[in-house]
Amino acid sequence: MQLSQEVRDALLELAKKKKVYLEGNILKVIKPVDNDTELKAYLEVCRTRDKDARKKRLDVTKQVQSQNKDLEAAAQQNEQLLQDLQVALNEAKRSEQEAEVAKAEAEKLRDEAVEDLDMLQKRTQFELIGLIVKVALVIIIGVGVTTTLLYSVAMLAGADTTLLGNAWSNMFGILLTNSFSIIGTIMGVKYATEKDN
Amino acid sequence: MIDSILLVDDEDLFHLVFEDACSLLDMTLSLEALNSSDEADRLFRKWFIEGPIDERPGCVFVDLNIIGSSFDGIELIRKINHDYGNGVVIGIISSSDDNQEIEKAKEVGAQFWIIKSDEIEPRLEDFLNDYESYQARTAPFKVYR
Repeated sequence: MQLSQEVRDALLELAKKKKVYLEGNILKVIKPVDNDTELKAYLEVCRTRDKDARKKRLDVTKQVQSQNKDLEAAAQQNEQLLQDLQVALNEAKRSEQEAEVAKAEAEKLRDEAVEDLDMLQKRTQFELIGLIVKVALVIIIGVGVTTTLLYSVAMLAGADTTLLGNAWSNMFGILLTNSFSIIGTIMGVKYATEKDN
Repeated sequence: MIDSILLVDDEDLFHLVFEDACSLLDMTLSLEALNSSDEADRLFRKWFIEGPIDERPGCVFVDLNIIGSSFDGIELIRKINHDYGNGVVIGIISSSDDNQEIEKAKEVGAQFWIIKSDEIEPRLEDFLNDYESYQARTAPFKVYR
């Protein structure tokens, strides 16, 4: 493309007075006439300025592009860290829940053990009481039967039963009183035990 | 020098890099940059159906993964080569160097694969040197690393 004289002069004037130069691909299509050294020099300046400006812009754009990539990489890394953190948090929550379940289980087992021990103690107490009652009853019945037999034999044999009768009467009263006392004790123990439960 | 170039890439910053690199290398006087493969597809369909055919660019650089588009760069190349009558020098410009993707691009008729990096100018310069043989369809598929 060739410039008209008017346009050529205007461009050169603009460059001289205002330092305004053409730029861009238009410079690649303007062809000066062979002997127009002034326009050739002007176009050379324009091309150099354009090239320098593009080079600078290219460097800056590359820097920005590189920084963008770094930022994207950092953002991805942050995202990954957040995900890892979330996983760890979920894991911690799960562990806490498991610990709570284990604690509840342990407490349940402890309660069961305490209950078993209590039961065992009560059973031992009942067994002991039962043994005492049996022994006491055997003694009471044995003494009662023996005394009654002796008294009956004495009466049938026509012997003097005054002493034996008094003894039998006293003995029977004592035994009866004792047996009630034993029964009272047993009932008391049983009542107290039931109250504890 | 290439008559006209079309760049299809979703990254606006790369448009600037590519434009300045092309200008510094005197690669072309006419560069158009699009953000989506759908837009490029629409243009090629229009040129194929309505014409004028000479409005088509001489060379097309397509990004591999074009975010926000219905299909990727390889599918766009397949469409241009098989659905819209071919006739342009076309290839991929991507930061990826995945061999499987490179093979796929080759299969759909891509003529070159340029790997994007901070130093793109030497690769574009090499490509420019090979451009005539791509136009003549005599150059084999090449990866510019």
